[in-house]
Amino acid sequence: MKVLFVCSGGMSSAIVVNALKKEAEKHSQDLEVKAVGSSEVVSELENKWDVVMVAPQIKHRFDNIKKVADEFGTPCGPIPPQAYTPLGGPELFKTLKELIK
Amino acid sequence: MMKKFTEFLEKKVTDPMARLAEQRHLLAIRDGVISSLPFIIVGSFFLIIAFPPLPETWMITQWAVDHAAEILIPYRMTMFIMSLYVAFGIGYNLAQSYKVDPLSGAQIAVASLLLTITPSVIEELGFVLPMQYLGGNGLFVAIIVSILSVEIFRICKQKEITITLPDAVPASVSRSFEALIPVAIVMILMTIITVIMGINLHALVEKLVTPLVTAGDSLFGVLVPVFLITFFWSFGIHGVSVVGSVARPLWEVYLLKNGEAVASGASKLPHIAPEPLYQWFIWIGGSGATLGLVIVMLIFARSKYLKNLGKTVITPSIFNINEPVIFGLPIVLNPILIIPFIITPLVTATVAYISTSIGLVTPTFVKAPWTLPAPIGAFLATGGDWRSIILVFVNIAISMVIYLPFLKLYDKKMLAMEQENA
Repeated sequence: MKVLFVCSGGMSSAIVVNALKKEAEKHSQDLEVKAVGSSEVVSELENKWDVVMVAPQIKHRFDNIKKVADEFGTPCGPIPPQAYTPLGGPELFKTLKELIK
Repeated sequence: MMKKFTEFLEKKVTDPMARLAEQRHLLAIRDGVISSLPFIIVGSFFLIIAFPPLPETWMITQWAVDHAAEILIPYRMTMFIMSLYVAFGIGYNLAQSYKVDPLSGAQIAVASLLLTITPSVIEELGFVLPMQYLGGNGLFVAIIVSILSVEIFRICKQKEITITLPDAVPASVSRSFEALIPVAIVMILMTIITVIMGINLHALVEKLVTPLVTAGDSLFGVLVPVFLITFFWSFGIHGVSVVGSVARPLWEVYLLKNGEAVASGASKLPHIAPEPLYQWFIWIGGSGATLGLVIVMLIFARSKYLKNLGKTVITPSIFNINEPVIFGLPIVLNPILIIPFIITPLVTATVAYISTSIGLVTPTFVKAPWTLPAPIGAFLATGGDWRSIILVFVNIAISMVIYLPFLKLYDKKMLAMEQENA
């Protein structure tokens, strides 16, 4: 499965990506996760992502990103603030599962 | 009561303000300026090479001084004429946001900026373009005319005031025809202003923005964005991305003008507050100066959660990435930690501002990538002033002292919770 993480510059979500990957490994699920900045979302969505997850610090930009994701028919949801840490793996995985249900 | 108050602030203050920063034109300015950063970063490094922070008696220093003009050519062609790159970036991004051809938008913006200046004729060289208004002095005009010209372009497109060709014509050909009428309008308009009416837009705009440029460079002008940024973060909103949308053009003007002063050999730099001042001396470890917080967390935390968190966030903190700290602790909506989170950068900002303005530290004029550890970034940003490293460590120490009592209080609470759940 291909997961796209969106934050302001693609830096901080790169750290959180590892937490999600580790958790997915525990559930033996194969994940490809990429972190990008919010200005890259539009061009990145053309590369067929299964799900888009948006970092909490750009929640004011969420509606715009969701609109673009809807155009591509890609599920898109916010990352809960308490999951946005290197220790947030389980919570992130749960959020992901609910998004693709 | 507390909860109601924060909900009120969130609904009435932070959310509307954050959405305001998402306004189309502000966003285009921000992305346009950001797209030019690689050229500012690399260009500014040639300033360090031309004026190396080495003893004057060394051979290499002598060589650099003798060849400064040549060494600075890459700088002159990038950072020194930054407004040209910014106009292209704003034109591109604004056109893209209107879903009209971005490349045409970028080109129209560049043409309209160039049409604000008049070339001179020099006997041996022919026509020569003065660069004076393509750098820091031209940034505001670049922003204004880029937006104006792209607006004309997209209105023509949306009202279908264009030359349309039959479908059989290749897309790239018909695209270039579509831009003909808007390009003509923009060129005629700018020519009327600059050539026929003889108006120097740059001089005019400079008069208008001077009060703003002066205010943003004052201590108060530094403290306001510093406060707003941590205020936004307290509600979990990316403060720099919101406040920077408005403040970044000013910060870039300060940086460009300081760079121009260095390149011209001036001994005193005109501005105190380009963005690197904030980056390296105020937000050490990320907004809120949280590197100090993470250090005291590593040393003093006794609860399991904070100990673990400290270990995982120290590395990103050294490289100024602190979202894991802000959301992990969390600082967001946490009344105990919000207090030092807001106070600390106000104090480090005051210390940094005063030390720079009384000449203890050279004002910043080089842009180093923001993910460098602060002492290295500060050293580069000041063109190799070793005293800047001392200022960084003083400010880290100050932030540790301010955060410590609050961290201890919060740690106690976490410890009690852990024992209860055990």
